[in-house]
Amino acid sequence: MDTSSPAAFVNGGLLRMHVGRKVRTVIQVTRSDAGSVMGKSTDGCQLVVRGSPPAPLTSYVEVIGVAENENSIRAELWTNFGDSFDASNYDQLCQLANGELKHLFL
Amino acid sequence: MFSSSQFEDSSPLAGGGFMSSQLGGSTPSSAREIRDMQGLVPATVKQISEASQSGDEKSSFIIDGVDVANVTVVGMVFNKNSRSSDIRFHLDDGTGRIECIRWVTERLDTGDLDALEDGTYVRVNGHLQTFQSKRQLNAFSVRLVTNFDEVTCHYLECIHFHLQNSKVQSKANEAPDSSFGTPVRGASNGHHPASTNDFSMQYNADGLKSFDKLVLNYLQQPSNIDREMGIHVDELSQQLKSPLEKIKDAIEFLEREGLVYSSIDDYHYKAVEGL
Repeated sequence: MDTSSPAAFVNGGLLRMHVGRKVRTVIQVTRSDAGSVMGKSTDGCQLVVRGSPPAPLTSYVEVIGVAENENSIRAELWTNFGDSFDASNYDQLCQLANGELKHLFL
Repeated sequence: MFSSSQFEDSSPLAGGGFMSSQLGGSTPSSAREIRDMQGLVPATVKQISEASQSGDEKSSFIIDGVDVANVTVVGMVFNKNSRSSDIRFHLDDGTGRIECIRWVTERLDTGDLDALEDGTYVRVNGHLQTFQSKRQLNAFSVRLVTNFDEVTCHYLECIHFHLQNSKVQSKANEAPDSSFGTPVRGASNGHHPASTNDFSMQYNADGLKSFDKLVLNYLQQPSNIDREMGIHVDELSQQLKSPLEKIKDAIEFLEREGLVYSSIDDYHYKAVEGL
């Protein structure tokens, strides 16, 4: 069993706390190019995700990768999360998972 | 042979692992009953990796002080390996990886699993066990996740289960269900002090709930101490923007603790001085 390299739940605001580390987040895609995707985080920030997204992309996509800086992620894994997704639920989860309940996750 | 005393705190589990603790009071007479009552416990792989073992012949695990045999985990499939007798894969839920085994009795059973690719989200329900000192999940159910709100929901359930059982363990005063029943909205975490508009119950080190402290602080203000007749509960309700019932509950508690007393009548209170 392996608990190394866990990924921290982040939204736009929490990304800066995990720069250089593995993170996971869900974004709502606003623009997608060959090497990167721009999207809105669950707390309304603009994020850039570098990598090769799957095609086609649904509106919401989860990315797991390494945080490059406070608004960009280098993605290793992409998962289409569909066109309807409860972003506010996920946002609350990010806050809980980074607060005093962090030990359940990281 | 089976002592039931170790199961005193597990009554919240009766009913499937997700239910609130209103079912307390029925201490089962045998350990086998416990196992049947447990249901599925939502857990992260990290929680599973940190769980201690209960040591009796059941060799079940303990998460948050509760005996756990079966868990439900949501994560991605990796390294799937299909054999004639079983299908194995690693489940990665972002907090860690655990090996899952689905024993194959009939080929028909596992049609779904054959098509599983790396990185696919699934929900695995299974029995926790140890093999060659590694923890594994003996999966009796592996299901594709189709609606991804299920992923968010699963982690919230893990949090809920954890908070539920930490509450039982620490034997704190009962908080109203609303504060933990809706972890998504309005829950303040431990880093933010409760504002006067947010009445989710937090506990200070001295055992006073935040709201009780609010009431006490108001009464302890020098200008209010000076008011000989005391403060009417209606004023407290107005000033603290809170329903009268809540004020009365807080006053009742503070009075029992010897921190406030009623002055000219049952509606006026003052803080005890010189504490």
